[in-house]
Amino acid sequence: MTTPHLSERDLQEAAAQFPALPAPQAAHLRGCRRCQGQVATYQHLFAAAACLPQPAFDFDLAATVLAQLPRARPAFPWVLSGVAALVLGVVVAFLALFGGVLVQVFQGLFTGLGAVLTVVAGFLVAVQCLELLARHRRQMRLLALS
Amino acid sequence: MRNLPTAPSTDQQLVAQVLGGNTAAFEHLVRRTEGLVTQLVFKMIRHPADRPDVAQDVYLKVFRCLAGFKFQAKLSTWVGQIAYNTCLHYLEKKQLVLLDPAETAPDDPPEEGRRAPPALVAGPDYDPEAALFGHDLAGILGTAIEQLPPLYRTLIALYHQQELSYEEIAQITSLPDGTVKNYLFRARKLLKQQLLARYQRDDL
Repeated sequence: MTTPHLSERDLQEAAAQFPALPAPQAAHLRGCRRCQGQVATYQHLFAAAACLPQPAFDFDLAATVLAQLPRARPAFPWVLSGVAALVLGVVVAFLALFGGVLVQVFQGLFTGLGAVLTVVAGFLVAVQCLELLARHRRQMRLLALS
Repeated sequence: MRNLPTAPSTDQQLVAQVLGGNTAAFEHLVRRTEGLVTQLVFKMIRHPADRPDVAQDVYLKVFRCLAGFKFQAKLSTWVGQIAYNTCLHYLEKKQLVLLDPAETAPDDPPEEGRRAPPALVAGPDYDPEAALFGHDLAGILGTAIEQLPPLYRTLIALYHQQELSYEEIAQITSLPDGTVKNYLFRARKLLKQQLLARYQRDDL
């Protein structure tokens, strides 16, 4: 036999059968008992490694992870509705108690300028409220995903 | 384990369901990938008490980042990538090394004039079958793998136990394909040396 023995890399590749050995090395392997033995050692090693038991946790990983996920947002925001109802109640009570006084105050304001200012102020407040609501929704979405 | 509703068949369906708020779909995702994640965590982290936290951290990151998954790789590969990076981060935090340069054997094969270690020298009558049968190979191999550096342990597990391809391992570890092959070669060589030395000690 004239060709040298296979290198470690060739032995491993022959054992894994990937990629195919070049022709001279393959020919050497067919006739060399020593290299065949080394290849067989690697094959045993690979087979034993594939059969090693899979490591596992002694607890249910999926259940533990699921318990830590953020809770889904309720379909109807009951808390928000409660707060809104409370605020509405306070406003209604305020109007019932001091409605007469307010009417007298605002009667004097209903000039042309007063009306314009009131409309502009009302518009700004509405825009602010809508922006607040949009921001609140964005935050809730982020919380649900984080 | 309780029965889960029918599993979504593709990665796309699974991701869409999780993003739609379906918690059961996320459970499917965990069950599909926990073998790979557990393998990575066990192989990269030596301290058993830290493993559960790291594994949970992996899945919480997966949940947070799932909206950013672009399907450029398999979902399991992407989850594996997160698991690997989370373990790396843990090792960095603990100032542990993934691969000690001193532990890496030279990767060139024994050439002319350079003798192989005695444990590797096999005579013409060398019979590996006889050498390996009759020994608790799995037990000894498990111990030998545990003695490898974390990166080598991980690569052996991913290739030989999880049966991932070189390309998938390269994606998970962000190492070039050639480096993965080279490290695997060194890891197997180290393993073989350890096993043969052990067998020789045990009246081989």
